[in-house]
Amino acid sequence: MTQAAVSEAPTEEAPLTQEPHGDVAAVEVNDICVTYRAYTERPGTFKELVLNYIRNRKAKYFTTFEALSHVSFQVPKGKIVGFIGSNGAGKSTLLKVLSGVLKPSTGEVTTRGKVDSLIKLGAGFDRELNAIENIYLYASLYQKSRDEIESRVPKILEFAELEEFAHTPIRYYSSGMFARLGFACAIDMNPDILLVDEVLAVGDERFNKKSRDKMLELLQSGKTIIMVSHNINMLQRTADQLGVLSKGRLIFFGDPTEAVKVYRADTYETSLDGKRL
Amino acid sequence: MAVHTPIAHTLYHYHDFFSSIFQYREYLKQSVARDLRKKYKRTSLGYFWSMLNPLLMMAVLTVVFSKLLPRVENYAVYLFCSLLGWQYFSSTVSSSLSSIRSNMKIIEQVPIPKFMFMISTAASNIVNLLITIVPLVVVMLIVGHPLHWTMILFPLALFPLIIYTLGFSILFGVLNVFFEDMVHLTQVLMRAWFYLTPILFGPEMLPPRTAYWMQFNPLYYPILNFRDVFYNGVVPDVTTYFYSLAGGFVLLALSLWVYKKSDDKFIYFV
Repeated sequence: MTQAAVSEAPTEEAPLTQEPHGDVAAVEVNDICVTYRAYTERPGTFKELVLNYIRNRKAKYFTTFEALSHVSFQVPKGKIVGFIGSNGAGKSTLLKVLSGVLKPSTGEVTTRGKVDSLIKLGAGFDRELNAIENIYLYASLYQKSRDEIESRVPKILEFAELEEFAHTPIRYYSSGMFARLGFACAIDMNPDILLVDEVLAVGDERFNKKSRDKMLELLQSGKTIIMVSHNINMLQRTADQLGVLSKGRLIFFGDPTEAVKVYRADTYETSLDGKRL
Repeated sequence: MAVHTPIAHTLYHYHDFFSSIFQYREYLKQSVARDLRKKYKRTSLGYFWSMLNPLLMMAVLTVVFSKLLPRVENYAVYLFCSLLGWQYFSSTVSSSLSSIRSNMKIIEQVPIPKFMFMISTAASNIVNLLITIVPLVVVMLIVGHPLHWTMILFPLALFPLIIYTLGFSILFGVLNVFFEDMVHLTQVLMRAWFYLTPILFGPEMLPPRTAYWMQFNPLYYPILNFRDVFYNGVVPDVTTYFYSLAGGFVLLALSLWVYKKSDDKFIYFV
């Protein structure tokens, strides 16, 4: 092993000093439940509400639906953790809870550090604005100061390979260019915890590799990544730990190879159930 | 934080409100810049339209109502200054209705307080309002209305109106998430409200009894403040100024309370 440069020393040391204590989880999820209301007859308009009130109809408008039930896990700092599960298992809900936009009905979520999500690339972009203006707008959502954004703009444009089109309104962009800009912005917010939802395949193969390398670089600098995907093979290869979600419950959390087995067994079972019904 | 009394609640909401504005000040700046760019970049006449629109409205209303109403000196100016205030209010409230829905992509990803979108709309419209001061002054010069020194008190006159505008924008914006027909309701409400507010006329033209009841319209004093500083050239009455300002802050507290109560539910509804 080569001697680490001075600047790298702290990052190499960090896991050693932190792991024995075991209390440096970047994300702690403690027994959370998320209960959605599936509305059947919600009074969608004020008129209906008034009419229902006049008719004195105390109907129940919704059935409750547990998108996540009693989920607990810990993600250590600097690790990459994946979640797998069939459609509707609660993966996206989990990411929303972790990013703070959705409050769990019960339970607690503790995140240590800045959280950024790569869930929908380019959320907050305005199609009428050009790339630079959009970078300012996007970064300001993450409470960056003007100076900070100004210094980052060239880097972001370079990474997205869009210097040539920096002054073109992004509605003229191809979907690949749009995604590249979205990815470059999100990754540059320098989060401590990055939430990723199926967006690894950005742009062409070369850019795809570039974005993967960038994520690995983040990991090496002690950042934490939480990923949700249907690409089981990719997750099995990259993740340190894998969680398996099934109908809102976390049925396994730990070794990736084991997790995939559990996941396969679970989906097989549920599909058999489906056939029987 | 344990909050039990209504006062503590109110203070807590206000603290939340103002600290969010501070935290997201760069977003406010960027968002206002975005609105202005979008509005003015793509039309060839740019800012000119912003001035022309209220000017035309004023011209039409002046032609009709200066004949109908008792004679008012320089009716165009009389009407124009209160019309500016009204247009600020009505356009902000109307566009705030859809602001939560149209920013859903952001809400799903960034934990930003949703009232920031209403605040940003209100802020962009302030810039528009400032631009329309230019045609107001031009009209004043053309009809030969004296330019009073009290014009410089304009920001003071605007302040209560901003508070009321924010209060109603947040309240209606929240309700619109839950009731989709708020848009229609607001349209009707705005039309009626326009005629109940001293814009085309003044309280001095009304029977005293009607004028008395009219002052309970929340926009009564904020709009008349405009007329005071631009048309009458007097400093707004201090007592009524502070009463109406206090009313505005009560309304804002109420709307923040409604907002807080439904904050966590938005994401399920939109």
